[in-house]
Amino acid sequence: MAEHYQIIWHVKRVHIIMAGGGDPKWQKDAADQNFDYMFKLLIIGNSSVGKTSFLFRYADDSFTSAFVSTVGIDFKVKTVFRHDKRVKLQIWDTAGQERYRTITTAYYRGAMGFILMYDVTNEDSFNSVQDWVTQIKTYSWDNAQVILVGNKCDMEDQRVISFERGRQLADQLGVEFFETSAKENVNVKAVFERLVDIICDKMSESLDADPTLVGGNQKGQRLTDQPQGTPNANCNC
Amino acid sequence: MDFANRNNTANKFVCPSDRQLALRAKLKAGWSSSKTNEPLRPEEQEAIISVIRRNEEIEIAERQRVGRLVERVEKIKLHAVERGPNCCRLCGDAFGLLRPQRILCEDCRKAVCTKCSVDINIRYHNSERTREIWLCRICSETREMWKKSGAWFFKGLPNYDMPVRSASASNTPTTTPTAGGGGGGAVAAYGKAGAGKGARAVQSCHGTPARGGRIKKLTIRVNDSSSSSASNSSASGQSEPEEDQLDGAKSTTAGAGIASASAPGTGTGTGTGTGTDSSDRQRLQRDESFRLRAYGSIRSFIDGGERKLSNSFFFGRQANANAGSRQADGQDYDNISNASTVAQLRREGSFMRRSSVSSSWSFSDSSGSGNSATQTTQNPQQQKQQQQQQQQQQQQQHCRDPLLGWLELAISYRESFHSLDCTLVRARDLPAMDASGLADPYCKVNIVTPEGHTKYTRWQRTKTVHKTRNPDFNETLQFVGVEPEELGNSLLYVALFDDDKYGHDFLGAAKVCLSTVHSTSQYRISVPLGAEDQYSAEAEMSQSWPNGKMLISLCYNTKRRALVVNVKQCINLLPMDNNGSSDPFVKLQLKPDAHKNKKHKTSVKWRTLNPVFNEEFYFEASPHDLNKEMLILTVWDKDLGKSNDFLGSLQLGAQSKGDRLQQWLDCIRLPDHFHEKWHCLASDNPTH
Repeated sequence: MAEHYQIIWHVKRVHIIMAGGGDPKWQKDAADQNFDYMFKLLIIGNSSVGKTSFLFRYADDSFTSAFVSTVGIDFKVKTVFRHDKRVKLQIWDTAGQERYRTITTAYYRGAMGFILMYDVTNEDSFNSVQDWVTQIKTYSWDNAQVILVGNKCDMEDQRVISFERGRQLADQLGVEFFETSAKENVNVKAVFERLVDIICDKMSESLDADPTLVGGNQKGQRLTDQPQGTPNANCNC
Repeated sequence: MDFANRNNTANKFVCPSDRQLALRAKLKAGWSSSKTNEPLRPEEQEAIISVIRRNEEIEIAERQRVGRLVERVEKIKLHAVERGPNCCRLCGDAFGLLRPQRILCEDCRKAVCTKCSVDINIRYHNSERTREIWLCRICSETREMWKKSGAWFFKGLPNYDMPVRSASASNTPTTTPTAGGGGGGAVAAYGKAGAGKGARAVQSCHGTPARGGRIKKLTIRVNDSSSSSASNSSASGQSEPEEDQLDGAKSTTAGAGIASASAPGTGTGTGTGTGTDSSDRQRLQRDESFRLRAYGSIRSFIDGGERKLSNSFFFGRQANANAGSRQADGQDYDNISNASTVAQLRREGSFMRRSSVSSSWSFSDSSGSGNSATQTTQNPQQQKQQQQQQQQQQQQQHCRDPLLGWLELAISYRESFHSLDCTLVRARDLPAMDASGLADPYCKVNIVTPEGHTKYTRWQRTKTVHKTRNPDFNETLQFVGVEPEELGNSLLYVALFDDDKYGHDFLGAAKVCLSTVHSTSQYRISVPLGAEDQYSAEAEMSQSWPNGKMLISLCYNTKRRALVVNVKQCINLLPMDNNGSSDPFVKLQLKPDAHKNKKHKTSVKWRTLNPVFNEEFYFEASPHDLNKEMLILTVWDKDLGKSNDFLGSLQLGAQSKGDRLQQWLDCIRLPDHFHEKWHCLASDNPTH
């Protein structure tokens, strides 16, 4: 049961206590053990860029424009199908505020994927992306995957960060880029699906097709073993 | 958002940077510097704790799921017959012309038949090329398990709970022995919350409640910078000063935030236990690019020997007063213990990761009275939490030692036979011993009694697994006559050696406390290998070398451009003459010799088995040539009137292994110095 408490100096609009974790749907998903892979994802970014809304849109397909600052950390669970595999996603929603940083960074280590979010109507949040990348590099596992997301793309009239700037930054960081709107449900699903795909690719890569690993193995074994080659070529006749 | 200055605890009396001031103005957050560090309010703490609890439920389910995955693979392994290279490792069918086709598994390189293997198409990630490989069922299942458990990502199996079959299992999450297992994975989990600068993993091995009802827990913190990050770390060794500042601030407040989240009143004790190594920690934290790498990606450790490694590991024990399994289970990623331990990192560039610091790791019972003197860091802290009254005592113990690899064991005790079955499953990431970065490891096992003696005079040994640093032994050694009461205070001692005909070089040793071994279940554990100690020396001594030993001193003389070989002395040579003695002399030759040096011979020492020669010989050679050449020494018994008897041989060169290779390389790297070493003599004659 996650309850979000309002922080007085930070509240902008209406105060609504969201009760996200308690609904039966969540319970069903969380208890569901019928899945193949479990990925832990983390949504990070400055305060009020829309991380919680983004997650609620994806997990519950709900949206509220009320701003309630996340307390520390929260998560939701959702199971998706991807390439005929069931993938259970544990999506962590982190507080953007500084004061929770020690808590939130503790969860970086377990995350396989990061959704790094900024607000296209907020220059500061965009400028902080580099800092967040540093945080990821510092605290996360080194093969964690990152997607850059510019949220609130529905608010065209207040936009200060163009799509092009976002894309350039993503290229510079070597990550994929999406502009989304949690309010209008633009690209929300796409971001998660893409991140799952990237992690899946990384997974098969790391085990099946990493030439360095395979090469290392063959080098190590050459002295004692039969000539290399697929068994098909290795005729026993 | 200014990350460099965000922790004002570092120095709150220094004016923040312009950027932060500007930000504060925007946030309307006020100008008090203490604002950003205000402790979490009770309702905030509650909210966070409730999230953590929800997560714990998931983690427990996940651990059980991984446990089931591991069990599945173990079951398949159990059915493997392993009858050797001419039979399928799984079904045992022999291969032949009319029989099943022989297939080599890509991962384990063992022979399997088509029935027991699967072919998969793999794709190189940077090309469209695909390649078909065959895997035996064990390895394909292992790969699946690595994928499904997330071990592929964390480079080691996460914590898991083996499913419990016994009816006595209670409703509470059981703390069955979990340990690194399955596909060569260590248990890697996340440990430290706050000061996450240094990469680390926590390996937790929970014992079943011991006979006294205690919960045992072993936490091993691994710090390992992988080869890939070694270059990074050198590049960012001098990271920006603001990073440093951040780190400094972090280390003082590390964990404090989270500790105060759960225990506002007792948030003072944070990080104090690490007084001795706080400087180490800061040093480590500065080196920001350390990436965690628990051991054991399926094959990533079979890489060449040149990789740089810096390892250190820590041990800590947690005894939990009221057996709060939730606490003891050591949550994978949110074990927000504020014990921070960082040991000094040792970087060893050479591929010989031999340790010069001699220390061993031992289990000391934290509930017992005396903690051993090796315990340098104690971090006792009690936390009273609002809803759960859990007292957590943490004791940190670490030793500073380079990691010499990992060993995976399965131990079971059969009370009816009084026999202890020790299965040496596999070892990983052993030190390289030859020039190609490989080794030929085998294990020697004995039991160390509480008095500190070895229980058996004969050390049991496994077969040698050749040309690998990641051997799969899968061999069970049985110790008969082990009394049940002995288990409580004895240690199982395993020493790994490199098999070579000119001496067996030490690879690593491990001690396993037997008090956690039960007669009912198999106890699986993955232990780090430590440095040489008295027992490993004893194990080494137990190997008999009938041909005796020779003391050789080598020096490359740059003036004369020659290799100087000083044959100093031999001991314990074989008696060849009727009088119970020999008349030894040594022949020397360099092969293949680019400079056509002649063969040399020492003088004959009459009627002795321990001759002292102290004779020097010069072989012309360039240092470059020496990399390809081999010095062959043979010891002979001088006989008048008949042919000389062969007494023993020794080969030194770039093709040698272990100590011999070390001496040879030292001699080339550090010319004009004598490098002296004892070597064992082999019984075969290389000149024949």
